[in-house]
Amino acid sequence: MNTNIETFKYDNRIVRAFAIATVLWGIVGMLVGLLAAVQLFYPDANLNFQFITFGRIRPLHTNAVIFAFVGNGMFMGIYYSLQRLCKARLFSDFISWFHFWGWQTIIVSAALTLPLGYTTSKEYAELEWPIKIAIAVVWVAFTVNLIGTILKRREKHMYVAIWFYLATALTVAVLHITNSMTMPAGLFKSYSMYAGVQDALVQWWYGHNAVAFFLTTPYLGLMYYFLPKAANRPIFSYRLSIIHFWALIFLYIWAGPHHLLYTALPDWAQSLGMVFSLMLIAPSWGGMLNGLLTLRGAWDKVRQDPVLKFMVVAVTAYGMATLEGPLLAIKTVNSLSHYTDWTIAHAHTGALGWNGFLTFSMLYFLFPRLYKTQLWSTKLANYHFWIGLLGMMFYIIPIYVAGITEGLMWKQFNKDGFLQYPNFLETIVQVVPMFRLRAIGGSLYIIGVFMMAYNLYRTAKAGEFEPDTEAQAAPLEKTASAEAPGKYSFHRMLEGKPMLFTVLSLVAILIGGIVEIIPMYLIKQNVPTIASVHPYSPLEVLGRDLYIREGCLGCHSQMIRPFRSETERYGEYSKAGEFVYDHPFLWGSERKGPDLAREGGKYPDAWHFNHMDDPRSTSPGSIMPRYSWLLTQPLDTTSLPSRLAALRRVGVPYPAGFENGPAQKDLRAQAAKVVANLKLGSVNADPDKEIIALIAYLQRLGTDIKSAPVASAAQ
Amino acid sequence: MINLEKIMEQKVLSSLDGVSLYGIISILIFFAFFAVTLLWAFGLKKNYLHHMEALPLDGGEKKSTGKIQS
Repeated sequence: MNTNIETFKYDNRIVRAFAIATVLWGIVGMLVGLLAAVQLFYPDANLNFQFITFGRIRPLHTNAVIFAFVGNGMFMGIYYSLQRLCKARLFSDFISWFHFWGWQTIIVSAALTLPLGYTTSKEYAELEWPIKIAIAVVWVAFTVNLIGTILKRREKHMYVAIWFYLATALTVAVLHITNSMTMPAGLFKSYSMYAGVQDALVQWWYGHNAVAFFLTTPYLGLMYYFLPKAANRPIFSYRLSIIHFWALIFLYIWAGPHHLLYTALPDWAQSLGMVFSLMLIAPSWGGMLNGLLTLRGAWDKVRQDPVLKFMVVAVTAYGMATLEGPLLAIKTVNSLSHYTDWTIAHAHTGALGWNGFLTFSMLYFLFPRLYKTQLWSTKLANYHFWIGLLGMMFYIIPIYVAGITEGLMWKQFNKDGFLQYPNFLETIVQVVPMFRLRAIGGSLYIIGVFMMAYNLYRTAKAGEFEPDTEAQAAPLEKTASAEAPGKYSFHRMLEGKPMLFTVLSLVAILIGGIVEIIPMYLIKQNVPTIASVHPYSPLEVLGRDLYIREGCLGCHSQMIRPFRSETERYGEYSKAGEFVYDHPFLWGSERKGPDLAREGGKYPDAWHFNHMDDPRSTSPGSIMPRYSWLLTQPLDTTSLPSRLAALRRVGVPYPAGFENGPAQKDLRAQAAKVVANLKLGSVNADPDKEIIALIAYLQRLGTDIKSAPVASAAQ
Repeated sequence: MINLEKIMEQKVLSSLDGVSLYGIISILIFFAFFAVTLLWAFGLKKNYLHHMEALPLDGGEKKSTGKIQS
């Protein structure tokens, strides 16, 4: 028995700070989501105010929920459990608070810049380059705090939850840096270093693994800590948790290309993504069962304890989402589901069920402990549970119906071999009632969160906050092994050495990344270039940047898949060689409106003008918002030189000095042409308005390959 | 539809030599990795596993707050 017991204190202040931030940002992120949802059946809900229009607030909603709500929830849970699992206070109080305030500053800057239209357009990585750098710095601080605490731990063994935290810290850093390679063109504008197909692969390698390593692995770690703790029972199988961890982190990283099935991405990468996605079912379900079986013999507690209720639904939702994900990654299923609301339903099973409910359970678990009291009202927490569950059902089920309806209608041919629904609008009008139901479901869910916030507030009021919890443990060197000394297995040796463990986890995640990404770099020379594809004109560059600013790709894809139902509707399928100057790629992931890859030349300029002013004047029943501000706001041409120079630096072959004079001349000439075309349609417009640039860009889309025969591979 | 896919495959893949190797290597790496993990997990001692399974339950707090249940 070791007599050299040390007394130390766990930091509860930082846990409380992250907990409060979780609740507040959760409410904000969900309300923004509700506003976006309402605009899908009532477009005027943006009050004709550009800053709260769907295209701009959709990324705000996703970023707020992922990085602000789940992010703060993750840090809250990690900082609470890490100290107790390591039997040590966090490595540095200063770093903890730097981490906290740094993260909140990033969130606030996101909340300001995204509505203003400063965005890279890459999903879940929309924030512009100065904020990206700040994210990297704060993330490093978190990682240092995490590893520092592990190194000064008093518990010999690293519990499986800590492995998940370590894998999260490392992988998110790798993903963030790889996907953030951009060339600045001013303080709030940058262009991706990658173009077209490469950009798409890197983005979805990132996007998929952001889901894996930001929304899944940290929360699995938290499940492995909080579930046994709340049930007061040991975890069902530690063996299973080891297999769960290694198989999961190894497999996840390969699965990214399943977001790009049937696109212009090479087929081998698509197949690789599909196979590894299917294999993911095994570790995911292993983990889910490990969580649920921990409750064996304790199910009576689930009836009484809201904490466990939320956890059971969270883990079940994890199981459903991780079965559905691989199914959606099968190419045949994906051909139906991709671009439809099915994907949105899938994402929300994960976000509302898994992340949301696990976060609520942690909050209900932590507040009474931090404030040394009982939860103010168990009854209210139970009401929250039921209204949250009901809200989730009302959200998810209509959206599944909407998604499958969309997919089937897009593909339906009549007996004469023509599209049954040639007008895209018909397919959207059909599912609008589902959008209404979804908004009701979202509202119920948010009401539940308000109930929780009030309950937690009253709990805090009733109790007394304990800033530090005293704890005791023997220092590591003198701690006797928990078992008789004997043979040490490799694994025990490994988890006794955190740095080695960290390196091996990194290797595990890098293998998949390298096998996928390296060939994509090699393929740069192999993407068949098409002789008639040429860089965007200056006016089109500015128009494209407006398209990005307004978030048009939130509803419009630019990727025609090689299906007859798509080529009939939109024109020739998209080729990899068409996107070689697309920094960033704008393929999109969702269709609330038709694909625009071959939009150029489909309608006269005046149609676009009227359509932007009021979409319902040209397309009755359309759910697109009005973009009337584009008709009045002057086009900013002062930034053109820096934009063109940045694009040249990432590889677009503009001649040297082009931006210093010829570009402006070219721009004015093209604008004059657009104005003349508008006149033909009885529209009088100024050449210096934003709408002119956007029309020029839209009319260019997909026209290159029509202008000359397709050339063979250039090299 | 089939023809279009075929064309796409020819256009993009014909120029990347030995592309099927990536798939084979990937599966081999995974199976090797998975097999080692399995051996690893099943070689662990019972008492060690019991210690680890129960690790979250003892947080080292001086005054246990475990009785405060919400």
